[in-house]
Amino acid sequence: MLSRYRLEILAIISVLVLSILFLGMGNGKFTGSDDLASAQISKMTGIPQEQFRPVVWQWVPPSPEVESALFALQAAIGGIIVGWVFGYWKGLKGRDKG
Amino acid sequence: MEGVLPASWCIVWWLLALPFLALGIRQLRKVLDTDRETLPLLSVTGGFVFILSSLKIPSVPGSSSHPTGTGLSVVSFGPWITTVVGGIVLLFQALFLAHGGLSTLGANIVSMGVAGPLIGWVIYRAFRDTRLNPYTTVFLACVYADLFTYFVTSVQLALAYPVGGFWTAFLVFMAIFGITQIPIAILEGVVLSLVFKYILQLKPDILIRLKVFSEEKILATRSDSDALQIPA
Repeated sequence: MLSRYRLEILAIISVLVLSILFLGMGNGKFTGSDDLASAQISKMTGIPQEQFRPVVWQWVPPSPEVESALFALQAAIGGIIVGWVFGYWKGLKGRDKG
Repeated sequence: MEGVLPASWCIVWWLLALPFLALGIRQLRKVLDTDRETLPLLSVTGGFVFILSSLKIPSVPGSSSHPTGTGLSVVSFGPWITTVVGGIVLLFQALFLAHGGLSTLGANIVSMGVAGPLIGWVIYRAFRDTRLNPYTTVFLACVYADLFTYFVTSVQLALAYPVGGFWTAFLVFMAIFGITQIPIAILEGVVLSLVFKYILQLKPDILIRLKVFSEEKILATRSDSDALQIPA
């Protein structure tokens, strides 16, 4: 029984361990590592972050709320595709068995 | 990090990315032309790149970062088709999220779509025909594809801003990305090998046709866990 769900159990354990680590870092702000790197670059070069401009024009989400909505949209698109295909495969399998 | 990369480097990385994109598109056409049943698998692997790369996961030093999700596509279709898949996801993020803009898209394609997948693929090929369990092989490929992506990002930033010399700058960026990324890469590897298990149970024939693992190995892994088959 346990060996059947070995991978599932491993997955749950790794999520739990990461969550515990996450809770243990209560003082962290969880800034994106890419933002940290941008800040680091501006510290190293002495160029203020606001002066970094994309080479070509770039649309920027007007607020963090809009940004997270778009990220959620991205995940939703992926989720729908994945769910659809697994359903398709499962349907095929049932049909084969008659 | 929009605009952080100087224009000259943007061009260099774009030029490096383009041949791999072209090669990937050619391979993709060929695979889809020979076997239409690969399209659902391609959608699943691409779907996971969409899902995983949209998640900013909090991690160890109190910062957060994204998984890449490319490993599953690497194992199924090889590195260059993954370049195309990764490129589509990165284009979405560049257009709508200002997350790595259009100018840095080339650099991002090279790190997430070319370099990471290439290393993941090397790891997968090294273990494919050994006695190592396929799930473990997929796990390792995913972990290394993720970690090496950020390794290359650090190289790219250090090349553009070699303050105190390339190696000093590289270590500074690796310290920022690396530590955050390790737990995330492990988590990504576990999740994707779990997904691989479900693909192997539902659609082993497609994995056999694509020669992801040898037929014996796939069937052995399946019968190993036959009891857990999802009842049709």
